[in-house]
Amino acid sequence: MTGRLIIEEEQCTGCVGCMLACSLAKEGAFSLSLSRINVLRNEEVADFRPRVCVQCLEAPCIVVCPVNALSRDTHTGAIHLDQGTCIGCQQCVDACPYNGVRFDDSRGMPLICDLCGGSPSCVEACRFPQAIRYEKEVDKR
Amino acid sequence: MNTSYPGKWLVINLTSGEITKERIAPEVIKTFLGGRGIGAKQLWDRVPVDTDPLSAENVLIFAPGTLTGTSAPCSGRTTLLAKGPSTGYYLKTNVGGHLGIALKMAGTDGLVFTGQAAQPVYFVVTPDSCRLEPARKLWGQGVRTTTQALKEQYGQEAQIACIGPAGERQVLFASVMTSMYNAAARGGIGAVMGSKNLKAVVVDPAGGRVNVTDPTGFVQAAQRARDALYNDSIAHDLHKFGTARDVDLLNELHLLPTFNFRRSKLPGEVYSLSGRSWSELGYLRRIVGCGACIYSCHRFTGIERGPFGGTYSGGPEYETVAAFGSGCGVLDPEPVFAANALCNDLGLDTISTGNVIQWAMECTQRGILTPADCDGIELSFGAGNAVVKVVEKIAYREGIGDLLAEGVARAAKKVGKGSDQWAIQARGLEHSNVETRGAYSYALAFAVNPRGPDHLHSECLAEFGGTPEGIQLIERVTGDKKYAVPNVEDKRAEIVRWHEDIYAISDALGICAFATTAAYSLHEDLIANLLKTATGIALDVERLMRAGKRIGTLERCFNLREGLVPKKDDILPWRIMHEPQQDLSPGEPITPERLGRMLAEYYRLHGWNTIGYPTQRTLVSLGLEFILTQFPQLAANQNMRPSTENRSETSTGKR
Repeated sequence: MTGRLIIEEEQCTGCVGCMLACSLAKEGAFSLSLSRINVLRNEEVADFRPRVCVQCLEAPCIVVCPVNALSRDTHTGAIHLDQGTCIGCQQCVDACPYNGVRFDDSRGMPLICDLCGGSPSCVEACRFPQAIRYEKEVDKR
Repeated sequence: MNTSYPGKWLVINLTSGEITKERIAPEVIKTFLGGRGIGAKQLWDRVPVDTDPLSAENVLIFAPGTLTGTSAPCSGRTTLLAKGPSTGYYLKTNVGGHLGIALKMAGTDGLVFTGQAAQPVYFVVTPDSCRLEPARKLWGQGVRTTTQALKEQYGQEAQIACIGPAGERQVLFASVMTSMYNAAARGGIGAVMGSKNLKAVVVDPAGGRVNVTDPTGFVQAAQRARDALYNDSIAHDLHKFGTARDVDLLNELHLLPTFNFRRSKLPGEVYSLSGRSWSELGYLRRIVGCGACIYSCHRFTGIERGPFGGTYSGGPEYETVAAFGSGCGVLDPEPVFAANALCNDLGLDTISTGNVIQWAMECTQRGILTPADCDGIELSFGAGNAVVKVVEKIAYREGIGDLLAEGVARAAKKVGKGSDQWAIQARGLEHSNVETRGAYSYALAFAVNPRGPDHLHSECLAEFGGTPEGIQLIERVTGDKKYAVPNVEDKRAEIVRWHEDIYAISDALGICAFATTAAYSLHEDLIANLLKTATGIALDVERLMRAGKRIGTLERCFNLREGLVPKKDDILPWRIMHEPQQDLSPGEPITPERLGRMLAEYYRLHGWNTIGYPTQRTLVSLGLEFILTQFPQLAANQNMRPSTENRSETSTGKR
């Protein structure tokens, strides 16, 4: 199995409900800085762009990591970060073509979506616009 | 213990520049909850009687809700409070956008600005620091330019609340704008900010966090709340078409205030004023959500070409469409969008701006104001271009704008010639756009609203019986669904009382009132559960509703302390009380007798005496004993006995 988040950018209303739900699920507290999903908001023109790991099949972040701290979870198909191995070099942040990797300065560690083990919290928060969907797919690789 | 509301407040003395931290005691949080509740207590404690609202002695309070900063649905709201300059009484104004979440992330449950800065300043708060900065370069700038400049300096994630030129000039209905297009609009809160020489508040939430007591329980509580709201019958329309969705329907029902409340039905096609049409007409550019909102009823709209081409802004909401569109007899939506965009950028309340322009239009129609009085502008009903021109003049207090900037009550007093009879205001606040002659709960609610006649202390939508949830609520509150009709006197006091309590709780917790009094599906037990899992404060439904009543009663006492005389001040605009609405059947005025009967029942249900003063017993039962000692004059009115047994303790909303 490999799942992924599908973002319909133009549907996003910029409410950041996804960021709040994500940070509580992953960090146990609400934080706009620690959510794995990040909504880039331009208030003036109401332009809202959710950015999150889209679980590329050929993931540049995994390739670029100098210490092999990133791998693919065989069960969920999500990118997995080995926190003990990570050296905080931020090459994965730079390598991601989708701006899907954030960096937590306080811990010196990237923040990458792990699909909440197959039941993403952000999807549940995005009820109306349904700008975020979770698609489960059979691994064809 | 982890809580979403640790009670950390900052007090910023703008005169001395001193900033002090204040911790709200846990028992005060339990009593007043947060947001509007603790804000009201702060206002009571800090503003001496007879303070000039535009003097250094007034305070300006920013109070995000108890649940704000969490993922509780629709919980992103902030209450701003001060003694109001338009009325001289209590003023709370509540705003969405993203300011509240940012404030809570920055570790701040409330800000109190006291004093008056010698030079323009702005305030910056982050999770680690706070300071005042000079704002000389920003002074004079509009809201968009100010917000952009501050975001350039502090980052796109920073949240900005600011005033525009109208607030700087202390226009008595100037707003405080947040997140660029969300207005804390009513009552002249922006004039208070301007009087303090405070241009902006900058909140950088980066690195901050908000905790809850029971994260697992909270996730479940939030999910249940979200399910309830998602399944409400109003939900999809609210999301898809926004607050202005039913302008055409209201017109068909003859309930759309029109021509300065002389009519309630516009002749002609009003579909293009309705939010339903804006997508197909090409005005709707984005559906926008306030922080943590699942409905996202806010709009981002624009006009491509034509005389108003290039206009873009947030909104307009229903109230704005009624204020500049139907109210001014303007059927073309484009000048409405343009007036809305100007108000957002100049920092004006659209409700009062439209209201005072309608008054001037009626003065013109009656020959009391001439184009010469109005700087050459022909202010006749239907003149959309004239509306747009006058908005700008009001903000800058130019020519006729200087008269109108004082609000409709003061303008009518100055112009005289009986024009107070078509000044649609009471106690100094312009009436919002509900045809109260056809909606008696609204009429009663408007008359007793502590800040003046509008729908934003108790939105009684359920009385129209428009949704199954609203009808159920009426049955729950009154005992019979037959009372879900808007133009009977019976049970209006019960309906208003329930709405007041739930509205106060919503504002205190930071929940949007649309979740509780438009959708009606975020029931009291769901709210109690969110509160408990977020803060550990466990209140049963009865105690929760009593907290709402406590907040409302404190606000009432604030006004009584300021000299409010119920018999004289619990009123509606002259036109509403004396002129029938010919477009409605029955469209009788809310006569003093009719209003008096509803007020008598309302006072009785509240445990107030026959002349509208809370009794000693009621104050004690609500835990408001401090009012009796701090406001001994209230006791002088205690010799008036309540009309019947004090029944304030039976208010649970769950009978």
